[in-house]
Amino acid sequence: MTGKVYIAQPDLEKVLSKLAGNMDVWVPAAPANGKWGVEFMPYHSGLAPILNRRSSLPPKKVLLPQMEALLRFEYQKDPQDPSKVTLRLDDPTADSLTSRPVLVFGARPCDTRGFLTLDRTFTNGPYVDAYYRKRRENTFFATLVCGEADSACFCSSVGSGPADMEGSDLRLIPVEDGYVLETLTERAAFILDSLESLALPPTEIQEAAAKQINDEISSQPASGFPPGTVEAFRGRFENLGYWQEAVEQCLSCGVCTYVCPTCYCFTITDEMKNLEGARLRSWDSCMFSHYTSEASGHNPRPTKLERYRNRVGHKFSYIPTNYDGMIGCCGCGRCIRLCPVSIDIRKVVQGLKEETCECA
Amino acid sequence: MNALNPYCPDLATVQEVIQETHNIRTLRIRLNDEEKMQDFSFRPGQVGQLSVFGVGESTFVINSPPTRKDYLQFSVMRVGEVTKRIHELNAGDPIGVRAPLGNGFAYEEMKGRDILFIGGGIGMAPLRTLLLHMIDNRTDYGDITVIYGARSPQDLCYTYEFDEWRAGGVNLVLTVDAEFPGWTGRVGFVPTVLKEESPAPDNRIAITCGPPIMIKFVLFGLKELGYEDHQVLTTLEKRMKCGVGICGRCNLGPKYVCLDGPVFSLDQLGKMVPEL
Amino acid sequence: MTNTDIKQLCGLLHEQVQAALPELETVIGWTQGYDLLHTTPVFVRDANSISKLIWNPFCSQNLTGYLVKTPAVQATDKAKKIGVCVKGCDSRSLVALIQEKFVSRDSLYILGFPCHGVIDWHRVMLKVPATGIQAATVEDGQLILEHNGGLQRLELADVLARKCLRCVYPNPVIHDTLIGKVATPLVTVENAYRDVEGLEQQSLAERLDFWRSELDRCMRCYACRNACPLCVCQERCIAETREPKWLTQYMSISEKYLFHFIHALHLAGRCTECGECERVCPMEIPVTLMKEELSKIIRELLGYEAGVNLEAVPPLLTFSPDETSI
Repeated sequence: MTGKVYIAQPDLEKVLSKLAGNMDVWVPAAPANGKWGVEFMPYHSGLAPILNRRSSLPPKKVLLPQMEALLRFEYQKDPQDPSKVTLRLDDPTADSLTSRPVLVFGARPCDTRGFLTLDRTFTNGPYVDAYYRKRRENTFFATLVCGEADSACFCSSVGSGPADMEGSDLRLIPVEDGYVLETLTERAAFILDSLESLALPPTEIQEAAAKQINDEISSQPASGFPPGTVEAFRGRFENLGYWQEAVEQCLSCGVCTYVCPTCYCFTITDEMKNLEGARLRSWDSCMFSHYTSEASGHNPRPTKLERYRNRVGHKFSYIPTNYDGMIGCCGCGRCIRLCPVSIDIRKVVQGLKEETCECA
Repeated sequence: MNALNPYCPDLATVQEVIQETHNIRTLRIRLNDEEKMQDFSFRPGQVGQLSVFGVGESTFVINSPPTRKDYLQFSVMRVGEVTKRIHELNAGDPIGVRAPLGNGFAYEEMKGRDILFIGGGIGMAPLRTLLLHMIDNRTDYGDITVIYGARSPQDLCYTYEFDEWRAGGVNLVLTVDAEFPGWTGRVGFVPTVLKEESPAPDNRIAITCGPPIMIKFVLFGLKELGYEDHQVLTTLEKRMKCGVGICGRCNLGPKYVCLDGPVFSLDQLGKMVPEL
Repeated sequence: MTNTDIKQLCGLLHEQVQAALPELETVIGWTQGYDLLHTTPVFVRDANSISKLIWNPFCSQNLTGYLVKTPAVQATDKAKKIGVCVKGCDSRSLVALIQEKFVSRDSLYILGFPCHGVIDWHRVMLKVPATGIQAATVEDGQLILEHNGGLQRLELADVLARKCLRCVYPNPVIHDTLIGKVATPLVTVENAYRDVEGLEQQSLAERLDFWRSELDRCMRCYACRNACPLCVCQERCIAETREPKWLTQYMSISEKYLFHFIHALHLAGRCTECGECERVCPMEIPVTLMKEELSKIIRELLGYEAGVNLEAVPPLLTFSPDETSI
């Protein structure tokens, strides 16, 4: 079993191409000329991966596509008796065809960590999401040890860190002129094996350099949120003045939920044309006004205040309550960076225990 | 439920429809898979998601009790897209169902007690399930009193069953909100009638369901009569999609109404975030 | 605009707000955001908070939307006004909102800031590492950044928002007080549509290609819609209604075209090109281009520019029997 390889920077694309021969490889790359944002996309020959800065969108869509057809159906009329209608229902999970393994290459700990929350929700509850589980079983993560924290990052505050490999199958350490890639889980052993002749073991110097970088980054102090956040949130729930201040700038636009690695709320809608249609699952957002509006017309979260409060509660109080204290946020900072009005969720959470919210 | 794919409904066929009121229609359905129908088991108070393929899904309590399994009954009020289409279904039409979902009533803990049902309009639907279940197991329970009211006599559901309920040993108190020609029964809002009837709280469980304004005043009334929070149950309504605790929508704090509910006692609700 | 200028103007701003505060219930302005390159809107209601207000080339948000989006910031005490800070482009949104009677002129105290352009953070990030920015100043046509790698000077033309490079109205067209010296427009209105003219010169196939590749990345997050001060359908938006249903949940390009083109058409003759839609798009899609094209057509056909003349009625919101051009 090949445990560790060294990939020289000029060989990176060769290695990715080789991997892409047996798997679907997703890498961070620039989507279009002149854009700053890096996105995860399927690797193809000629695509230059960008590994030296964080992506705008997390690789969430690899495991939870923005839209997928859960079911397809067709109404069938009996030609002898057109008023007699039966239904044909197709369930794609009944299809036992296995797809190619998927490798997410170059995600950072804050990207991969999102799947820890998604895994528990989609596969560890009383009901298992067959669509997600099928993809998850076949998906592997080669996570990059991150040296590029910016002013919006806070992974160390949520129980993670820039070298956190929880949930990852391989560790990718950027060293001078290249990378050291190391297998962490049994299930991922086949990946480096598949590189065959391209699997060059690192030299002692390269290994030492990688270890040093990893150690340095791992030893950065964690600056956790004050303990008792779960209880502080509950205590603060009815303090409308607090939430009013926190949310006054909010546009209820939902960008935070779309770019968040741990946000997974979805809606299920039917779309039909003539007699055929599909039941679709697509991304929704708890920040949208109609998210909880009931058929009677009543809406328990009528304004952005209740909705934003629920979002903060979900990540910092409800998920920890349900999942053994695991915080439902990976500290990637995307919601801060991409919020049109730069709302800083760190301030809102830190302020839960203080008297007032120093949010603006 | 489809054990392997909780999003995939079981195909069923509508057996019978009953137009209860101008906007409430009862459907009686049977699963197409005969074996599944025979094996189908559920607790009173559990719900099902009815699918009209091409329009969508909506959650309704399984209105019939586990003791009467010729069909699964759902009473549907026409309020939106999906319910409008459900109201157009007739016997023989295909329908999908994902059931049983939710927690149901803890009826075992109610044995040996007196039971008070307080329902308004369509709110009688979840109560009916438990009521019939108790009638079918009559000796397990003490006094069963039902206070059921609606806006008008035409808005009362299950009128064809009232005699059966009385015969089953139920003290049935019907009321409508105002005088109506031809109505010789009680007149008064449900909370008012509750006050007048004044059933004592000792060894009694009160279960209420109905329009939010009715529930609000019923809860006040029950408190005034001396009912403690753990003695009062209700069923919550929330916008639902997956119904299986995954999509995140129906949460009340860390609890999901589709998984931990929809039946909650008042003391459980008291500990949850006030987001009703 | 130098650091000294900024300090002076902030001082002026604080003075003005201090003086006007007794008549104001709320002042909507900008304050320091999570780092030096970002500001965030602030709602000042008492004298102690006045010092939070700032004015600098990073004040990118258009604050006028808060006056109309639910819950609208309105004075509960009718004797008081709402103060709002606006740049040139933002002030045009105010004019449009007043024209359409969403907000009344008398209820506002408008603090106008002649503007030399706001920085587009994405364009800065293309040139500098994102980490460790310790100082950021604008001086002599350059953005000067101090970061972990040292000092870096960027030409303003390379980092200003696209809308600023085509700005005809840097000075607020409506204001109760003006803070700062009057600025010179970078272009005249005749030259303000270079970007869409560039697209017009391409073949239809090329233009379709351009829009297909841009809009394919759209996530239908509706940030553009929510950030637009004139997009007031809010909870009744066609993008989300189910009865009748206009858009499906299929993430196909046709659904995205439908949303964006309807959104642009709803803004035709009303959009003041404040550029918020483009600024907030997480996918960096240049969505303002669509509205610019429509504005150009409105200008050519009807001789009308949105958000400039308080007395005017937007031509698509009225029927004039004397209309000669169409």
